[in-house]
Amino acid sequence: MTVEKILLEFDPKPKNILPVLKKINAGFGYVSEKDAQKVADYFLLPLSKIYENASFYDLIKTKRQPPLVIQVCSGANCAVKSAYGVISEIENYLHIKAGDDFNPKVKLEVISCLGQCGSGPVVIVNGNVFTKVTPSSVDDILRNYV
Amino acid sequence: MEKEIKIITKNWGQINPNQIADYIAVGGYISLEKFIKEMTPALALEEIKLSGLCGRGGAGFPTGMKLESVQKEKSKEKYFICNLDESEPGTYKDRSIVDCDPHMLLEGIIIEALIVGACKAFIYVNGNYQKQIAILERVVGQAQEKNFLGEKILGSKYNLEIEIFVGAGAYICGEETALINSIEGNRGEPKLRPPFPTQVGLFGKPTAVNNAETIANIPWIIARGGKKYATIGSKKSPGTKLFIINGSVKNPAVFEAPLGTKLSTLIDEYAGGVQKGKEFWFAQVGGSSGRLVLKKDLNMKLEYDREAKVSLGSGAILVIDKTVDIHELLLSWMSFFRRESCGKCVPCREGTFRLWEIAKRLQDGEISERDVIAIKDILWTLNNTTFCPLGKFAATAFGDAINNFQKEIYRLSK
Repeated sequence: MTVEKILLEFDPKPKNILPVLKKINAGFGYVSEKDAQKVADYFLLPLSKIYENASFYDLIKTKRQPPLVIQVCSGANCAVKSAYGVISEIENYLHIKAGDDFNPKVKLEVISCLGQCGSGPVVIVNGNVFTKVTPSSVDDILRNYV
Repeated sequence: MEKEIKIITKNWGQINPNQIADYIAVGGYISLEKFIKEMTPALALEEIKLSGLCGRGGAGFPTGMKLESVQKEKSKEKYFICNLDESEPGTYKDRSIVDCDPHMLLEGIIIEALIVGACKAFIYVNGNYQKQIAILERVVGQAQEKNFLGEKILGSKYNLEIEIFVGAGAYICGEETALINSIEGNRGEPKLRPPFPTQVGLFGKPTAVNNAETIANIPWIIARGGKKYATIGSKKSPGTKLFIINGSVKNPAVFEAPLGTKLSTLIDEYAGGVQKGKEFWFAQVGGSSGRLVLKKDLNMKLEYDREAKVSLGSGAILVIDKTVDIHELLLSWMSFFRRESCGKCVPCREGTFRLWEIAKRLQDGEISERDVIAIKDILWTLNNTTFCPLGKFAATAFGDAINNFQKEIYRLSK
């Protein structure tokens, strides 16, 4: 799969910018500046126009992601069920800090609500969703990934 | 008052949401047929105005007025958008509608789009709702096969096309001008109003944006009449509402109750009361952007009312007991708004960031005299100077907490 092939699936209309960026992100894990330039050329728009879109949304990344990405929901419903306990447990377990963008191996992200509020706290590891996580179950979940 | 009245949840758990035949068997798409065969768009609009239905997304703007202003626009090209970009923490009502009765939502979208004379309808779905996107795609396909959608719907002159537009996880895109920006391929930032989207909306054409829950009421109103709808619930805002009750209650779930129901009734009767061994502290009404309700105010009625002290918002109710650490809640609210502030205006971008920093210091117990003064300044700035309501939302819960729980927050000795 190449960026060119993805681009040819869409008409160069403004409403397709976001779908294109999402598809590139799904295929390559992130949208690089080079890829964004190709999108800009295809849509006949300046690079800034494409890049301002790519950098705005949570679900589109503009940087290569590490092989292990852990996301923890910290919405109010998860927070009252000790999501912050889970976060600090993960920080201790992997010796990282939440929000650190420069670790090449692992990233711990604090994210917003995913609409799973009935079964919080919610943890997502490389796209796999775990619900009702407690600080003591962090070890069980992460053991398979480290 | 009828207590057992159900409008949105009447088919939940009764039918298979994946089968269009099941929905038709319980009287589905009858409203659409009635609209096409017996009514004109003007007549149907009259019914919706009679019903007094107001927007369920949070602001509570009368739906009839919004549709009317789009209907009377002379443009040939108009759009209708169903706002399903639900990302308020603690809110999952729209997701539940799609899970349990997607065809009812679709029927509402078709009817409303035809009322305003739209040639195309969009469903803007939260990018995190992968399962719901698949459901919606299947449902739209089924409706097309039965000719409820597409060209010459049910042999009439109406044409309608529906497109599902998947968002990419931005809270601010639930605001209608930001949502329109997002579909147009711009950064999802809010636009200055006027011009209102009802005149200059998507691609510069008149556009009506409605919340998914609002739309789900439409088939009922068309089938049974606006007058009957107006008798349900409170006078100021008739109808029923989905309440999402969560936190320290026995049965956390989505409930449908008439508007005007007391908060204490919702917590005690619908959700089974506070969990055993826990003591009620306060409740937050309307998701993370909602106000805090103390024990003494539990008797308040929940309805859409401009003068009400507590706005209902999305209908999410979070019950908090005394074991919860208020600092974690403060940090949760502020980290949410800091992440979701779009960065367009300085007061919101900087204000949410600084409050988040202060919330972190509060949690670590490193608060200084300077921070206490700064909190007041920042809250005032957020409340009064931000471009869109997000700044105000960010200040609401934090301000309420600072006003009511000074002792707990600043760890003062009692």
